[in-house]
Amino acid sequence: MKDILGKVVNFATQKREAEYVEARAQRLFKTMLTVKEGRVEAAKQGIENGAALRVLVKGAWGFASVGALGAETLTEAVSDACKMAKAASSRLKAPIKLVEAKAVQDKVVLKPRKDPSKVPVEDKINTTSSLSNTVLGYDNRVKSCTIDYLDVTGTTFFMNNEGTYIEQDNLYVWLGVSATALQADVLTSSRDAVGSTAGYEVFDVETPEIVGERVAKRAVDQLRAKPPKGGTFPAVLAPNVVGTFVHEAFGHLAEADFTLSGSILAGKLGKRIASNLVTFYDDGTIDGAFGSFKYDDEGVPSQRTLLVKDGVVTGLMHNRETAHKLAAKPTGNARAKDFRVEPLIRMRNTIMEPKDRSFEELVEGVKFGYYFKRFRGGEANLDGTFQVGTQEAYEIVQGEIGEPVRNASVSGNTLETLLKVDAVGKDFELWPGICGKGQSAFVCDGGPHIRVKEVLVGGSA
Amino acid sequence: MAVLKPEEMLSLAEDVVSSAVKKGADEAEAYTYQGLTTTVGIERGQVARSSRIIDCGLGVRAIVNKAVGFSYTNVLEDKVAVEETILRAISSARASKPDENWLGLPPKKPLGSVEDTYDSKIVELHAEDLVKVASVMLEAAEQTDKRVLPIDGGAGASYPSNAVANSNGISVFDHGTIIECSLATVANDGKNVTPVCFEFNAERRYDIDPEWVGKEAAKLAVSALKAKKVETKGSKVIFTQFALQQLLYYTFINAVKADYVQRNQSALKGKIGQRIASEAVTIYDDGLLKGGIHTGKFDAEGVPQQKTLIMEKGILRNYIYDNYTAKKEGLESTGNAARAGYLSTPAVEATNFHIMPGSRSPEKLVNEAEDGLIVYFVQGAHSSNLASGDFSVVAAPSWKIEKGEVTHATKGMMVTGNIYQVLANVSAVADNERKIGQLVAPWVLVENVKVIGK
Repeated sequence: MKDILGKVVNFATQKREAEYVEARAQRLFKTMLTVKEGRVEAAKQGIENGAALRVLVKGAWGFASVGALGAETLTEAVSDACKMAKAASSRLKAPIKLVEAKAVQDKVVLKPRKDPSKVPVEDKINTTSSLSNTVLGYDNRVKSCTIDYLDVTGTTFFMNNEGTYIEQDNLYVWLGVSATALQADVLTSSRDAVGSTAGYEVFDVETPEIVGERVAKRAVDQLRAKPPKGGTFPAVLAPNVVGTFVHEAFGHLAEADFTLSGSILAGKLGKRIASNLVTFYDDGTIDGAFGSFKYDDEGVPSQRTLLVKDGVVTGLMHNRETAHKLAAKPTGNARAKDFRVEPLIRMRNTIMEPKDRSFEELVEGVKFGYYFKRFRGGEANLDGTFQVGTQEAYEIVQGEIGEPVRNASVSGNTLETLLKVDAVGKDFELWPGICGKGQSAFVCDGGPHIRVKEVLVGGSA
Repeated sequence: MAVLKPEEMLSLAEDVVSSAVKKGADEAEAYTYQGLTTTVGIERGQVARSSRIIDCGLGVRAIVNKAVGFSYTNVLEDKVAVEETILRAISSARASKPDENWLGLPPKKPLGSVEDTYDSKIVELHAEDLVKVASVMLEAAEQTDKRVLPIDGGAGASYPSNAVANSNGISVFDHGTIIECSLATVANDGKNVTPVCFEFNAERRYDIDPEWVGKEAAKLAVSALKAKKVETKGSKVIFTQFALQQLLYYTFINAVKADYVQRNQSALKGKIGQRIASEAVTIYDDGLLKGGIHTGKFDAEGVPQQKTLIMEKGILRNYIYDNYTAKKEGLESTGNAARAGYLSTPAVEATNFHIMPGSRSPEKLVNEAEDGLIVYFVQGAHSSNLASGDFSVVAAPSWKIEKGEVTHATKGMMVTGNIYQVLANVSAVADNERKIGQLVAPWVLVENVKVIGK
């Protein structure tokens, strides 16, 4: 592979006037299962080989993607990419430049305890079957259970014209499970996920029994929940919701491409935006976490990037283009879903740092408010308006956790809300997820329990 | 570059099916897909990138003892790789468990005809042509107002084609074209930044208006400036197509899929023939809609697409089916199987989800909203409860309507409720239908929507 990519890179610089060239190639193998009420809808296996060629010509990006790995096809493709760049450069006002990155030569070999590519499909089917049995057997009001299992193994290759060549083993294991419960006219749903870059051994900890009970219990408990009151209330957020909040409401706005597009973090570097209890970072180096990797898709080493320290903005997440534009160091956040797409600035494991409070201390100060325990989804806008929807939430009455509430969501302005964080817990959890920004990316997010003086709660009441 | 011809896609699919049967599959199906896409991208006020993507591959379903196995590959030039893919589909089926509800792949049926799904002009477009489209759009936006920053967008032309063959004699090929241009903008008046505003055109024939897209995206952003908080109360709300698409996609559109109904995940189970929406609402799933984004001769299993009545003046009439869910009830597929290219097995999906337009102009609708709101986009719809239809979303950008006229943008506003209540409370639909993703719809006016403001 190294020889082929080398030829292609040289061709583009020597014969096609490319200022910068990178060639990414992948040889990946996937196993997928979709299981509905214990029935395997289809056991799926697939091969995805292909290459992505990205070039800078006259300051504009050109990109070509092909599902092939032969030298001839890739040379044609890089030639195509240069043509595309030339066309795009015709109306360019500000040529694109990249920040300097150290040349790297490396081979990243993974040695998982349980390599998913060596686990027989039958075993994977058995894992999903026992999960399905746990969920459906938990209570007769549980009516459906959907499981999506995915594992990815293989190798990706990266070369650029600056002397970097990296071979990197890939390993991802993902399982998403959802359940619905029904009683009279009330229909509820819940979902959960397991994700790891360590190996199939993740299911020794997140066993089908543990995960299954978690999902089923949540769907059943929701049956007796009532809608929340709409309005402004104090709230305690659990690690799973804090993680989503950090990712959605803050993280996306700290992706330098969004910051440059005018997100509310523009011009905020070095400034206070949150209470001094707030420290955020995006860390791609946590062993086995779903958002971890050694090199990003521009060949830059992954790292732990401090974003907010004690309430003050200290950094953004960059690719080489935005790092140059904002005179910053590259942070290793450029990620492409596969050979079909260009890398974008993406989060890795995005985290809020724990402090010193116990859960009881967080709750006891609240006369009436809400405890948001488990997220369903979330989204933020560049102007800082965020929304996080939840699957599991409770009232807090006189400092104690009260009745469950259904389908509550939290909203507000990110910066106003961060200033209202008045207590931060000492516990910590990290949860896997799949983030969508045009392409999907495997990530984690997490943090401790926190208390916020007030948030806008949207409910159906 | 190596690109497959139609006859090659079809003969590959046919060969794979007969090979799979020879190798021991009781039934087999092959799906071949090829997508050629050219795009140019706008980034922060300039055309900065262009790309060409060629993606083709093969997906094989093999059935052994009523168990389904699937395998795919994008390595097509290598005969060995294709053979291995077939064997892997068969071994996946053998590793799996029999499904008593499996009643066979779909039978061969005559295909209907479709209009305006292919335009050779789009196939012939070069990056330079798309750079022009994007530049026209960009200039139109910049000339509209100085406070507008076009942050993202571009133009793209794609030419997807696919073929399906199965062991029941299905052997079909079709291709189509899509051209699109889009622009996302924000406006900044020195004090405030607006939420992201967006406009686009997407058509099957070369019939887009980039200048209109640029102007509209800019006008939206400017009018989203100077936003004010609104009161918490029940209000008349006009949902535009963007907001409707988001709200329906995660709730109602799933609820009419037979898979969700059969598996007790749909609030519409057992509701055929019952009133679930106001009389103003009539909906078809129309896989044959002229020029529709999801119009095609056949679905992902080679079954003819069709026009299915979903709701007639508020009465639920039909669900939508693929082959598996239809056979389970002794019915015939409604041609609603879809795939994510060659990478996935078929699943039930809507085609063009068509809410029939009414006779009122959008201006008349605003007039009738009197003291209400117009919601353009919503944020967070994917956190809706798909089972119950409950949603709770941020509505931005949105505008206040006072005395029948649009007055100012709103700030920090949520809209919350249940999608079935929203459908029941539709009091009028406008005549301004347009295509957004799967949805083809006009603006709708809904009574008594819960709005949470200050």
